[in-house]
Amino acid sequence: MVGMGFTLFLMGVKIGMLPMGEGIGSELSSRGSILFIVVVIFSISFLVVVADPVVRAMTIVINDVSSDSISRSALLFAMALGAGIFMVLSMLRIIYNVPIKYLYAGSYLLVILLSFFTPAEYLSISFDAGGMTTGPMTVPVILALGIGASTVMAGRSPLADGFGLIGFATIGPILGVMLLGVLLH
Amino acid sequence: MATVVESMRNAIIEVVQAIIPLVVFFLIFQAAYLRYPLNYFLRLLLGMALAAVGLVLFIAGVFIGFLPAGEDIGRFFGSFEEKWMLIALGVLLGFLATYAEPAVRVLCYQVEKASTGYVNSRLMLYTLSIGVAVLVGIGMARISYGIPLAYIIIPGYLLAVLLLFVSDRDFIGVSFDAGGVTTGPMAVTFLMSVAVGAAAMIEGGDPLIDGFGLIALIALAPIIFVMSLGVIIRLKKGGE
Repeated sequence: MVGMGFTLFLMGVKIGMLPMGEGIGSELSSRGSILFIVVVIFSISFLVVVADPVVRAMTIVINDVSSDSISRSALLFAMALGAGIFMVLSMLRIIYNVPIKYLYAGSYLLVILLSFFTPAEYLSISFDAGGMTTGPMTVPVILALGIGASTVMAGRSPLADGFGLIGFATIGPILGVMLLGVLLH
Repeated sequence: MATVVESMRNAIIEVVQAIIPLVVFFLIFQAAYLRYPLNYFLRLLLGMALAAVGLVLFIAGVFIGFLPAGEDIGRFFGSFEEKWMLIALGVLLGFLATYAEPAVRVLCYQVEKASTGYVNSRLMLYTLSIGVAVLVGIGMARISYGIPLAYIIIPGYLLAVLLLFVSDRDFIGVSFDAGGVTTGPMAVTFLMSVAVGAAAMIEGGDPLIDGFGLIALIALAPIIFVMSLGVIIRLKKGGE
């Protein structure tokens, strides 16, 4: 059943979500307004993370294991918000041509710093949150969106700039869940 | 334990909640900017409907089969006196999960291309699988002995930051994406439930603190490995 559902889901993503992502991505670049790009990228990343099957299944598990002490909707919100913000940063990086290593180094150091303030029961989950947002819905749509947008933007190479998009988007949810833990305690 | 019917019903509610905002967003975009012809538009909607049905089956299946099975396996291996059993299980599952993941193979080919053939994709596949296997093993050892995740993950992250500055530029983006690639949906749901099950059996273990964190290690393995590869490539380039 898992396999069958997954196959159907992938077919659906290919027919429905991927062309949507690409269409919106190229629409973005043809508009050229940075504000417009930021708003749309943020909304799509947010919605896609909320809709991702792995994220949905695992947040239920976390909620169960914590015997309801960690709210599922707060978790979903924190992860989606983090992914949305980091996707926007990723796009801005491509537009302004910032070397990828500074962004990674900065955000990893931030993760390490925040981990000292995160309560223990949120720490493991927050690191896992990064791996969860690389689900089968998030990855194809974000890639399609990013490649669609970066090809038109000032002749950037989709290969060099397209890589790293997913990896960077996963840092957002880590920070999101850590902040959630810090704020709630 | 929820019945099959109940799981199906819950999964349907889940998916409707998940997919409606995305569809609404798409409808607004279609009306305001995209203006696709009706035929094409209906095709995209059909695709989304298909994805929704698949999602219902996937989520229901995960909760009926995958998670309980994973937790049972975790509890079974976690209850042994010999802790190496759990670690060996972790190594085996980590290797298989990476080796069997189609997206990992795609990535290996990309790296072979990016390195202009210098990095053989099969070699890369085996080394990635072994890398993940080792880290899942470490993750299971952590659960067995109750070592805090921070002691493993923070040095790992620091190493990654360090590698950022010595690795070949072309390998950085790919390495972080590889972290996303090894955390495929099957691997995540299954390994996570094994870890939660095992943590529940370990004396003094808290499933919430000890059971999670495995996925993070799986994501970290390729980051460190692929960037290390980038360092080697860079040294070779410099030497010529």
